[in-house]
Amino acid sequence: MSLLEVATAIDSTSLSTALKSVSWIVPLVQSVHILMVGVVFVSILMTSLRLLGRVRADEPLPQVWSRFAPFFWTGLALMIVTGALLVIAEPVREFMTLSFRLKMIALAICIVSAAVFGHRMRGASLSLSQEAALPAGLRAVAIATLALWVAIIFLGRAIAYDDSVWGDWSPAVLQRVA
Amino acid sequence: MSMQTQMPPAFIHSIEASAVGEWMRSNLLAMPWVNAAHVLCVTLVFGTVLVVDLRLLGLLDRGRAVTGISREMLRLTWTAFAGAALSGLLFFSANATTYWFNTAFRFKMLAIVLAGVNMLVFQTVTFRSVASWDRGSPPRAARVAGALSILIWVSVIVLGRVIGFTKSVDVSVPENIDFDFSAGP
Repeated sequence: MSLLEVATAIDSTSLSTALKSVSWIVPLVQSVHILMVGVVFVSILMTSLRLLGRVRADEPLPQVWSRFAPFFWTGLALMIVTGALLVIAEPVREFMTLSFRLKMIALAICIVSAAVFGHRMRGASLSLSQEAALPAGLRAVAIATLALWVAIIFLGRAIAYDDSVWGDWSPAVLQRVA
Repeated sequence: MSMQTQMPPAFIHSIEASAVGEWMRSNLLAMPWVNAAHVLCVTLVFGTVLVVDLRLLGLLDRGRAVTGISREMLRLTWTAFAGAALSGLLFFSANATTYWFNTAFRFKMLAIVLAGVNMLVFQTVTFRSVASWDRGSPPRAARVAGALSILIWVSVIVLGRVIGFTKSVDVSVPENIDFDFSAGP
């Protein structure tokens, strides 16, 4: 079964039909999705900036993460639920773009990375003076994570312009030609 | 359509006719990049404002000084807001007339002004007594300002999304061109 066939099958489900039938559902779900992206992104931003020594220098790293982690995970859960609803509403539009596919890969990397980071922070009682001993690579991870989240946001918006952005690499173009 | 008989103010027309507007309409990649930058900046504005608002409501960072948090976050908020305003203006220049007559757009601008007023009142009145509640529980006026701020910024984002679904695209067909559809597709 090709991805297009999967998308077409989802498109004909009753949930998909229901989501499409009311004009204000998609904009409303998109709004909640964007709000949750804000919550998730800023939770990551604060933790990354703390790792880079730009904010909250007086607060130990594990404590900074424990403040933002509940917002990160709750925001992420709602972001995924609203995102899934948007995919169910318009599966062909999402699946048949390179932007969406790259976004999902980047998102998976970010979630795994946050889970690993959170696991390492849990129960860690790192005093401010001990932080100098943190592996230098962690700063690089912070920058890479921020870059990935920026990419996720850009790719999310690029779904609507997939063929302009990617040209012949866009599956939407191939689909149209076929 | 009644909309086409309405004329926008002259400055709206000149924004749309400007070189920037023309570039936004003609460059294939301008719209996606500006659009993505706008969303990025808007999520940053919302998220950073939320950190301060949640502190005012006592739901985040209890025990941390309000002054420290607001100083740290405001830098980020203003940078993101500048980016959002700039990318928003670029957007606007592409279809200024359409935006001008769009109800959701007007309400969004109104909501941004309200957010500014709320912030101004908070900064000039409520924040004066901050020394007495910096590390403790903020007074009712501060909590109200925080709640209002969340409400207003949520509306800004919802209205922004509604614009995308309600604005019509300006397509003008030159009058001196005859189309011949007889040949079929």
